[in-house]
Amino acid sequence: MSARSRATGRSPRASSRAIGVWLIALLVAIVATVQIRSQAEVERSFTGTDTTSLAFLIDDLHRANDSLAAETADLTQRQATLKSGSDSAADQVLTDEANRLRAAEGLVPVHGPGVVVVVSAAGLLALDLQDALNNLGVGGAEAIEVNDRRVVVGVPVEQTPGGVTIGGVLVPPPWTISAIGDANRLAQAADLMTQQMRADRRVRQATYRVEADVVIRAVVTARPFVYGTGP
Amino acid sequence: MSRSRVVSIFVVAAVALATGFLVAGQVKVQLLTPSNQVARYQALVRSVQQLEASNADSRQKIAALRSQIDALEAIAAQRSAATQALQNQVADLRAHAGLTTLRGPGVEVDLANGVPGLDSSSEPGYLVNFKDVQDLVNLLFARGAEGIAVNGRRITPLSAFSGSEGQVIIDQGPPVTAPIRLSAVGDRNRMEAALSDPSALSDIRAREVQFQLQVSFSGGPDLALPAYDSSLDTRHVGTL
Repeated sequence: MSARSRATGRSPRASSRAIGVWLIALLVAIVATVQIRSQAEVERSFTGTDTTSLAFLIDDLHRANDSLAAETADLTQRQATLKSGSDSAADQVLTDEANRLRAAEGLVPVHGPGVVVVVSAAGLLALDLQDALNNLGVGGAEAIEVNDRRVVVGVPVEQTPGGVTIGGVLVPPPWTISAIGDANRLAQAADLMTQQMRADRRVRQATYRVEADVVIRAVVTARPFVYGTGP
Repeated sequence: MSRSRVVSIFVVAAVALATGFLVAGQVKVQLLTPSNQVARYQALVRSVQQLEASNADSRQKIAALRSQIDALEAIAAQRSAATQALQNQVADLRAHAGLTTLRGPGVEVDLANGVPGLDSSSEPGYLVNFKDVQDLVNLLFARGAEGIAVNGRRITPLSAFSGSEGQVIIDQGPPVTAPIRLSAVGDRNRMEAALSDPSALSDIRAREVQFQLQVSFSGGPDLALPAYDSSLDTRHVGTL
């Protein structure tokens, strides 16, 4: 065999070895691609939220959608009443709406089922009270009062050197927080909240009771808009 | 043994080793996330998406119904002075409840996530959470806001904030995540002063330093807030 034929020619054994190496390289490429795509898929699908959070989110959305459906049904009924065309029907719709809005805005005394939470503590801050009020709001509170001061979103709950104020008035502990709404949901919220509060060293006592008829007499003073203009 | 044979043996060995690692990695991934687990997760995500779509539909329907009711009330008010007086009262109450649009001077506050800290065991302080939004809403109302919207969702007297980690749920709306923009109409000067006060919003300020949480604001002469488009639930309260 000439030197040339040795340099360019290949024995069958060498060829099969080369094919083997190429096959293995191909296999590596395929496996690497699958591996990388698989990892990317896993990372993408698990980004952000875990399954437990998703389950809670689904629960929240179900409840929210039920509430929206109830509101839609109520509005549809109001629309039908107004379409009937009688003045008395229109007046009744408007009167009911005014009463509902006055209650929501804290402008009138109200009553209904709910919970009364009592927190005895030293050193709790306005932020703690804001969190407690928000927890009850998430639990479906439709009216709230703290130590005979009505609270709705927009009423300032602030920290001052003298302690916590609601609407500029000092509310020293113990705090008696009355909330009206779905008693079962409020009880769940109050139960969780008081458990967490009892774990706080500053809190001496945190209890709640469910009542069939909680009365809230305190009201918020209406503030006319100074800067904003309506439609 | 020739040099080329030794090289080819090493090449084959290296390729085989790499294959072994990759196959092992692949098997490990599949063991960690069996296909049914991924499928379950995807099913949950689909449920959330369907519920969010239904939520958006309902809110659109509510907004449309409120608009139609307004028009019907206006027609009824033309027929009677008493009805007209009632309608005026209700219009004012609706405006204060956030059920109508509001325009005026104000501020816009932008919140964006920071960067994760080195300590992975700590709370995800780099994420904007619902308490940040709650704190800002409380501060702005205390300092002259007459109306507030968060990412286009109007705040009402009964609004509440919840959520986990970086999700913020407001009332019956779907969760929102950063970047979050709060728009507030009211006393612009007081609100700007409050937002510039280093002693206010202590938790957010601390996380600005620790996690580079991003907070910025700007004032505007004419901001517009949308009307609330969800339920203002007062089914359980009765007036005394």
